Amino acid sequence: MSNNFKAEAEKTIIVERLVKNFELIEKKDGILNSFLSIVAPKKKSITALKDISFTIDQGELIGFIGPNGAGKTTTLKILSGLLYPTSGFTQVLGFTPWDRKPEFLKEISLVMGQKNQLWWDLPAIETLKLNQAIYELSDSVFRRNLNELTDLLEVGKLLNTQVRQLSLGQRMRLELIASLLHSPKVLFLDEPTLGLDVVAQQKVRDFIFDYNRRNKATIILTSHNMDDLIDLAKRVIVIDKGEILFDGNLQKLVEEFAKEKVIKLYFSKNTDIKKLEEIGKIKRINLPQVILAVPREVAAIAASEILQNFPVADLTVEEEPIEDVIRRVFKGEITRKEKRLLKPKASDE
Amino acid sequence: MFQIFLVFFLWDTIFANSQRIVFGYDRQKMLTYIFGLIIVRALVLSSKANEVGGDISRGDIINLLLKPISYVKYWLTRDLSSKGINLIFAVFETILLYFILRPDFFLQGNILLLLSFATSIVLAILIYFLLLFTIGLVPFWVPESAWGISFLMLVVVEFLSGALFPLDILPVSVQSIINFTPFPYLLFFPLQIYLGKVGTLIMLRGIGVSFLWLGVLWLLMRSVWFKGLKSYQAYGR
Repeated sequence: MSNNFKAEAEKTIIVERLVKNFELIEKKDGILNSFLSIVAPKKKSITALKDISFTIDQGELIGFIGPNGAGKTTTLKILSGLLYPTSGFTQVLGFTPWDRKPEFLKEISLVMGQKNQLWWDLPAIETLKLNQAIYELSDSVFRRNLNELTDLLEVGKLLNTQVRQLSLGQRMRLELIASLLHSPKVLFLDEPTLGLDVVAQQKVRDFIFDYNRRNKATIILTSHNMDDLIDLAKRVIVIDKGEILFDGNLQKLVEEFAKEKVIKLYFSKNTDIKKLEEIGKIKRINLPQVILAVPREVAAIAASEILQNFPVADLTVEEEPIEDVIRRVFKGEITRKEKRLLKPKASDE
Repeated sequence: MFQIFLVFFLWDTIFANSQRIVFGYDRQKMLTYIFGLIIVRALVLSSKANEVGGDISRGDIINLLLKPISYVKYWLTRDLSSKGINLIFAVFETILLYFILRPDFFLQGNILLLLSFATSIVLAILIYFLLLFTIGLVPFWVPESAWGISFLMLVVVEFLSGALFPLDILPVSVQSIINFTPFPYLLFFPLQIYLGKVGTLIMLRGIGVSFLWLGVLWLLMRSVWFKGLKSYQAYGR
């Protein structure tokens, strides 16, 4: 009980100086090397998380972004109690996750795009009833939550179909229901839209948005799907090579990391476009429109230069699209150098 | 099934002369041993816990670790329910074989011995569960070992539990070593009680040793479990 009071008084999630090292055994190909790796295993230590810290308030919906292998899933696994960290302090809802206390586990859920908990040979309703028993939900709560979830995700008719006969999109939505039946207060979503078609993606997205608002649930979302992040997350944490590079508003991420501005031009008559290349990078030509990318610092000078030297009917200077910035994050192009510049700004949030 | 026929006809031939006594077994008790094996095997050796290793190395364990549920108790429940189903089939199988082979059975009438038999079966079920479960935890450290190690375990159990032949046909010195391991208490010992082949003192000692093993294995399982969770890397998924 005292734990619950504690959780209300403090932040929902606190992570301080979290470090996680993995030990890997290297194996070379071939039978001889297989034997060698049994006799004298070559161990290699990999640092998945180097000293990361952040806090999250109740009801926040946070996007966790970074290239593959950045440490996103590792963080979620530690937060949900699957992994013991090497060092550091972690608290979720006032609990230490890896103690795996039943009271803690009843309040959280981890949904992974590539993980199945539904029993393959049985209709989904059987798994859901099993979860009802495991989470000790009363019949009325079970019915209410189930009806709400099936309505929102539009899968009411699929409950009695054998899971192996469902499409991926249908199954994913039922997986979501199985993970949310106990109305967790904290939700970790790892690639929830992986492999879904555009329509199903939108359904899942709308649902996450709704769930966050209705239940005041705290949600951390990782995704490689740009739309997931732009639609859902106000605050993003950028992580790469086990380090946090940015923590703050999504809009701010663009302002901070956009290196370029985009100049859109409409020419009034034909002209030698090649000369434009001296001013900036031509991104698209669709005459009379030309889109040009120029370094941020010289955007104003570039614009005036264009206005003086070209027959321009219309000119606008815009921010680099949010997608482009996030794409650079996924590529790992956002570097530590930029992080150092940013640090004072990010921390006064 | 085929194995049963093989073993049955082997011993049936040895006991062709019905007055003959081999290794202290007459024809009736040996055939009862063989048939008793079907039932006791179905109860003790048919276990779901041999899937624990695969569950861990595939990463399916994550689903259960995330839930407010004990992993050991989850598998014990699955184990017991699958034994229930197996028992139904084993009874059916025994009845069928009985009518095909028409052996004369030894029926134990002593209630006390039947109760002790039941107790030893319960102990055997729990011991075997803990053995398999603990072995199944090895993939926490070596994920690719799941299949090999439980296979090795099955071979040892098959030989030392009396599943192939009654253990008292072995030399006494070998027997006394085997009696210190948990294996004979899985099949051989319960059947000996049923056949009334052990004295009260040896019976009580056997049940005592079973309890001891149960305790030791329980503690071992818990310590391996907690160490395993700490080094678990939850790869991939």
